[in-house]
Amino acid sequence: MADEIKDLTKIDRLIHEPSRLAIMAVLSACESADFTYLLNTTGLTKGNLSAHLSKLEDAGYIKIVKRFKGKYPNTLCSCSSQGRRAFESYWKQYSALAQHLEQ
Amino acid sequence: MTSPSDVERLIQDTRRYEFGDGLRDIQMAIYFALSSVAVWLVFQPFWVTLLGDLVERYGRGAAWPGILVMLIAPLAVIGMLGLMNFVRKRWLWRESGMVKPARWIVPRRVTVLSVVILLAGLAFAVFARRQGWVEDSFILRMLWTASGWSFAYTLISMGREIDLDRYLLIGAIGGLLSTFLLFLPLTFAVAALVFGLSWGVLLSISGILTLRRAVDARTAGE
Repeated sequence: MADEIKDLTKIDRLIHEPSRLAIMAVLSACESADFTYLLNTTGLTKGNLSAHLSKLEDAGYIKIVKRFKGKYPNTLCSCSSQGRRAFESYWKQYSALAQHLEQ
Repeated sequence: MTSPSDVERLIQDTRRYEFGDGLRDIQMAIYFALSSVAVWLVFQPFWVTLLGDLVERYGRGAAWPGILVMLIAPLAVIGMLGLMNFVRKRWLWRESGMVKPARWIVPRRVTVLSVVILLAGLAFAVFARRQGWVEDSFILRMLWTASGWSFAYTLISMGREIDLDRYLLIGAIGGLLSTFLLFLPLTFAVAALVFGLSWGVLLSISGILTLRRAVDARTAGE
């Protein structure tokens, strides 16, 4: 069995879920993004996005800061260093696997 | 939604977002133009005479305008940052959301190589002067030319990194214009002015055109 296939069992399942993968991809590419941006780029509903963000926050992959800007609530999300490492490692495994399957 | 190409697109879209409205280009253009005007001004005899007269008449405190003129460009950049933030929050990015860009858009090797380009240019100029191939002013003009090459390389690398073709074009034209400086009989101050204004014009054209597209897209969405 190819190493890429063996590595599949070690893949980070928290990030592997499509919606969370999209969130992690966005947050890994910037210092921080607000809830509205994540909502627009991932195409999730508010409730779904909140639930996925909470899971990623519980795992220590992202940091969430909730504050008010004037009268409006503003949620700012950023990738933690642990989250960045986890995403990079996941992405390496995933890309290698995708390349292997294409061959 | 989450094929490797989708994930890559999400990553690239987020990295490009900061540059999608052209405000960054305008900010860089303002910095280049104001810095070059400040450097040119500081080397003008009338400015030195004016400062001398002011100090003589009003005491040492009157020399402050001479120092403040060098701070105009950094202050304008800070002011522009505040303005960008305001315009984006209130209008341009109100619907699409706010993103704070990554601190390093280009890999560290690009930053290191851009410094190497600058130093290599200066080292070549000093070498050429020692060999007697060029006159003294060549070294001073090379300071601007090598800075231009260094910035052009960073811009082109950034354009390739985030797939923004306009930076490839600006980098190539700016790098070429910076090279012309070497062959023009200009003083250090005038070379600084030509250098800053050339980059300023290039970046402001790019910024205004991109901003116009962003405003049109925003207006169409309303």
